[in-house]
Amino acid sequence: MVARRLRHALLAFGLLLSSAALLSPSALAQDAPAIDAPGEAIVDPLDPFDFFGTEEIVSSADDDTKSADDLIRDGILLLQLDRPLDARTKLLKALKKDPENYRTYNLLAAYYLIHVGHYRLALKYIKRAEELFEKSYGKPPYANRELRKEHSDMLYYLSQVRLNLDNYQGALDVLDRFTSLGYTADWYPGSRAWILMKLGNIQEAIRVARVGVLIGDDGARTLNMLGILLSMNDQPQEALEVFRQAIAFELSLGNEGQPGTPLNNSGEVYEELFEDEKAESSFLRATSYKDGCEHILPSLNLSLMYVDQLRFHDAAAAMDGFDRCMAQYPLKNNEEHVALESLARGRIDLHTGRVDRAIKRFEAALEGTQWFGKIGTNQNDLVVAGLISLSQALTARNNILRTTVPLSWGEWYRAKEEIASNSLRAWWLMRRARQMLIGELNKIEDLTVRNTDSLVEYPTLGDALSGLSNAALEARLAQQLKVDHRPVAQTYYKAYAAQGQLGWFGNSGPNSDLDDVIDTARPRLDELLKTHAMLLRMESLSQSGERYRELAYRVFYTVPAELRNRGFKLPVTIEAAGMPSGLASLLADGPFLPVKQGSGLCVIRSLPSSESPAEIKLSFSCPGNPSKDRIVGDVEAGAVVNKLSDALFREEVPNGSDS
Amino acid sequence: MKPTAQSSWLFWSVVAFRCVGATVALTLLNALLPLGTPVLALAWFAVLGIVCASLASRSRLTSFGFCIALAVATSAPSLLLHLTNSTLSLAGLASLSVEGLSMHLASCGAVAALGALLTWLFWRARRAVTAEALALLAVAIALFSGHRDFNLDRPKILNTMAWRLGIDQLSMLVSVGAVLLVATVLYLCLASMATRPRADEVAVTRSSGKRQALLGTLAVAFVALLVFGIEKLLYTHYSIEQRGRVANGVGMRSENGVSPLTFQSALGSSSQPAALVRLEGDYNNNPFSPMMYLRETALSSFNGKEMVFAGKAFDTDIPVTKPRDNFTGKEDEGLSNRVPLVQSVYLLADHENAFALDYPVSIVQLKNPKPTRFKGSYRAYSVGPAYNLAELSKEQVGDPRWSPEVRAHFLEQHPDQRYRETAERLTQGIFNPVEKAQALARSLSETSIYTLTPRHEVKPGEDPVAPFLFGDHRGYCVHFAHAMVYLLRSLGIPARVGTGYLTDLSQAKDGHILLRMSDRHAWSEVYVTGIGWVPFDVQPEQVENHAETQVDAKMLEELMGILQPGEELLPHELTKDEKGVEEDSEIWLPDRRAVLAAGALLLLSFVLLKLALRHGWRLPLSPRAKLRWAYISISSALCDIGVNRSEGETRLEFASRVRAAYLEPLARLSVAEAYAPGSTLSSDRLRNVVATVGSPLGGLPVWRRCLAAINPASVIKLLSGGGW
Repeated sequence: MVARRLRHALLAFGLLLSSAALLSPSALAQDAPAIDAPGEAIVDPLDPFDFFGTEEIVSSADDDTKSADDLIRDGILLLQLDRPLDARTKLLKALKKDPENYRTYNLLAAYYLIHVGHYRLALKYIKRAEELFEKSYGKPPYANRELRKEHSDMLYYLSQVRLNLDNYQGALDVLDRFTSLGYTADWYPGSRAWILMKLGNIQEAIRVARVGVLIGDDGARTLNMLGILLSMNDQPQEALEVFRQAIAFELSLGNEGQPGTPLNNSGEVYEELFEDEKAESSFLRATSYKDGCEHILPSLNLSLMYVDQLRFHDAAAAMDGFDRCMAQYPLKNNEEHVALESLARGRIDLHTGRVDRAIKRFEAALEGTQWFGKIGTNQNDLVVAGLISLSQALTARNNILRTTVPLSWGEWYRAKEEIASNSLRAWWLMRRARQMLIGELNKIEDLTVRNTDSLVEYPTLGDALSGLSNAALEARLAQQLKVDHRPVAQTYYKAYAAQGQLGWFGNSGPNSDLDDVIDTARPRLDELLKTHAMLLRMESLSQSGERYRELAYRVFYTVPAELRNRGFKLPVTIEAAGMPSGLASLLADGPFLPVKQGSGLCVIRSLPSSESPAEIKLSFSCPGNPSKDRIVGDVEAGAVVNKLSDALFREEVPNGSDS
Repeated sequence: MKPTAQSSWLFWSVVAFRCVGATVALTLLNALLPLGTPVLALAWFAVLGIVCASLASRSRLTSFGFCIALAVATSAPSLLLHLTNSTLSLAGLASLSVEGLSMHLASCGAVAALGALLTWLFWRARRAVTAEALALLAVAIALFSGHRDFNLDRPKILNTMAWRLGIDQLSMLVSVGAVLLVATVLYLCLASMATRPRADEVAVTRSSGKRQALLGTLAVAFVALLVFGIEKLLYTHYSIEQRGRVANGVGMRSENGVSPLTFQSALGSSSQPAALVRLEGDYNNNPFSPMMYLRETALSSFNGKEMVFAGKAFDTDIPVTKPRDNFTGKEDEGLSNRVPLVQSVYLLADHENAFALDYPVSIVQLKNPKPTRFKGSYRAYSVGPAYNLAELSKEQVGDPRWSPEVRAHFLEQHPDQRYRETAERLTQGIFNPVEKAQALARSLSETSIYTLTPRHEVKPGEDPVAPFLFGDHRGYCVHFAHAMVYLLRSLGIPARVGTGYLTDLSQAKDGHILLRMSDRHAWSEVYVTGIGWVPFDVQPEQVENHAETQVDAKMLEELMGILQPGEELLPHELTKDEKGVEEDSEIWLPDRRAVLAAGALLLLSFVLLKLALRHGWRLPLSPRAKLRWAYISISSALCDIGVNRSEGETRLEFASRVRAAYLEPLARLSVAEAYAPGSTLSSDRLRNVVATVGSPLGGLPVWRRCLAAINPASVIKLLSGGGW
């Protein structure tokens, strides 16, 4: 049980320390503008009223006559003035003037590491900086204190860059060099613990983190790291206690503190413990702090939790909040998180009936590059989640196409063609996901419900598992039940087992288990699981039965899109009186199941059109549930059925970048 | 048809060809859709299936027997593993590893079965080759079908390859098409040779040979035409103008009285990269943040039907300069709220005009950092907008410095009175002109539906905007911009249509913006007093069929890498041994000269070999060699018209079959010479015999002789070992 909570840990201290290193007093002191003569105007970039001074630095008019050192100095000041592009241009000019100045490379490395997030480029610059540094001052160790400081900063950048590029062993090697040269830094224990954790050496990581806490260097961050490691070591209560200390520590730092990180991590531990209210509260608090909003994890966790609870508007709002936050960083383009965001938004779209958009999102998630260096999970988790989600979306798309009335022969043919290709693709993607779950993900390590590494959607993970042979699945579940005794998790395992049996033995067998899941799943919190179980249960029911109707309406009133996504029809009463001929049968071709007799069913009836005599108007009303009432109209009978289907089985949620 | 009498090398050539084809197909498929199982393993199984089926086809095995054997052989391992797992599960020992292995084996089995089945059909079924060729054609069509409607960036795999090779997508497509065609023709030739009937089936052989020769010649000629001719034609057809026209309906022309825009259809909103723009400084005052308008040209003249380019006489702020030219303009001192901005533009697609942030005062050429990647580069010094949009509402419009003629030009109205009526209705109760413009943009944004396929029925000479504004409100940026300009002008507000790119800075990185063709845009602009031309863009709230796509981050990073200091400052060696750094390997591509030189060399070799074959006997050689070359001369000429000596046929039999009087004496002589060297070859006799050489094509029509002259069949035969 590992580390989504880990994902966040280094971010905060990375930013803090590298910013500090970049703008360290020593660097500023070395490059501070010299006062050449008494009475000469001093350019003070920090003086809010000295516009002239700022303009002079920004201006490139004198750049040709300035020395490389002057340009470097301008670059540093411009970074302080929050004008990174101007700074970059100055530094590149400095590089051109003096290609042997290691300081320029060092600054550019920090710029690309911290401001831009272009790690490959940062790596080139920092390696070159170190090379030139050694050329100037010889091989380490260095006796001079300033040189030691500069060299240790370079090693710090190098370790951070390697970590971001998922080169964990390389990052650890740099830290080993760091200690062998006798350097010390407050970030060191936390950073080392993180890298050890990424390399799977949890026990040693805990030892390092504990030492770090005892030393007291960079206390909050090391505490945070320790909490993460403890939770990975199946010590959730101890982890929560450590996170509490970390949060208090960060809050005590005022504006400089970064409480969002430990808050998010504690939220993840609560989530694992199925204490959803506390988890939600932690995530919400995390997103309210600057450091919690600039990283996707709190928003992602919150969003996925809301999806489990069928709170799709809240889920979309959580992702919107993240987007708004990222918009504050003009040099980054959210590229490092675009895959995760696409995945989360795609799921929201899928459950709200926006299947076309969901497919595009999942495809984007699978194509996107996600940097996992500072995130506790890895690419395979994302790929598996994307594959399963895309397969489900393609199947849903087919079910929608099957219940869409074609308006022309061309449309009919295209639908058939798309259904065939979607079916093939969905089968293949799910098969591939199963292969990855077994192979790359270590015999379905994601089976542990709310495994914080995982990005799969637990209520619907059964879709992927049901394709495995029942013998293998049962054996794996039995193994899991031996180690996971959390009561709420048992409901999920029961659902997986039932779905597995459903796949292999048809309609018999798992019904009682599914009924159990429907009855025992926690209300409000495990709504998606409950819906999923109801849909599975409906598979073995006759459409004319009362139980089918009951379950269909329960799903329809909570997640209408899921009913259609899974290929089920909604039992309705059709009042044929006054309806154009053939319309009733078109409704039956759509996602509706005409039922002659039955109480409490929604009713579809025809309305006279006030606007045009050719227009066909349909009204849909449900006794006791006026929120589902809809009226649609069109001149074509098929179009009006499709409009009614869309109006009923789709929900409007904010749309991220398109909105 | 059973494979009879095919020579061993032909048989194995076909088998090898199929194996290579299967491996390539699997590799490509894996690139399109990860297969999960290692390609090498799949390829081995495919090869196994092909080889086994080929060998089986030569045995007495029936098709039914083959199918049974195939089903057993391919499904047995997977079934066995399933059974094992089920048995193990009784003892609680079922394992997911077995399940995983079973899935891999199933994949391998499926590939082997498919390879074997197709190969069996190839050898045993009469029309299997045709079916295979048709299937290949269908796959090619399916692969290329994404390319329809100017979607030059599809299929993605080809686009990626083109990008990595640094060549145009169109060239890539044509080249791949040519390679596919050549491979297919080669395969068909081999296949038909391998399954050709025996020599005693004279009629068939002769006619088949002719057909083959003709087919081969035509195919080679067609491929040559495709590569050299069709590519040219395609380029002409999809010229800059055409390609521009369909990128959101916004083209690139800038001739007086002409519009680069189109109203009918704007399909092809492709993510094909157009340019990389690098901001050289911060732009914190961007009034449209996070969006940014990069103007290419402006249309301010109304020709009675649409807005057209008016020339620099009116639109003095537009540089209208080629991307390869320098430009020096003058800063308008009368404008305020502007900031200097420097941008470097690196063109990735052909452009007719330079574009820049509003408005450039200078454009200078930059050294192209990578000519194989960028089509040009320049740096633009702009005076960018820094006003606050919220504060514009109280400003006035127009420029007091304008002459009456210029003012009238920017106020020239559409004769259709409905524009005025609509504008007045939508701005009722608003008196300030800027507020009126804002109200119009807002209103159109709320009521319009964005679609790239409006499908309005507009006859020539009719107003293409009316069906949009007074009809279904469905259209794209060109419709919105025109409607806005007509409405604005009807209210006495000077307006024009701006064209160029609209980009989202939130997708930029480190100030680097990757412009795609889908970013091409047209918008309306209003001249605000003391501020200049200000975009008043319609952003429709309802979108029908325009999907925004994310910028390709990998591509952007790669391009950013090119713009970094070069190898001398940041050598590749620095990160050579670093993990996680996937440097795009440079693929060597020959330049045009090298290709031409190689082509010329090939052509020269071809001509020389042809000459040697046909006229080699004329050289001062020994009598024996002269006899041999004389025989080869006639045989090669016959080969070029499709008449060949069959497998197992003696030279004399061949000479008798083709009834060539000029061949028979040579054949007899060479046979005699072979059995009794030097005994029969008197110089007189030789002189008489070789006098007939060169005549076999004499009676043929000119076109057949021409075809024979360019037919490479004899050269190929020579290079593959002769056998005349």
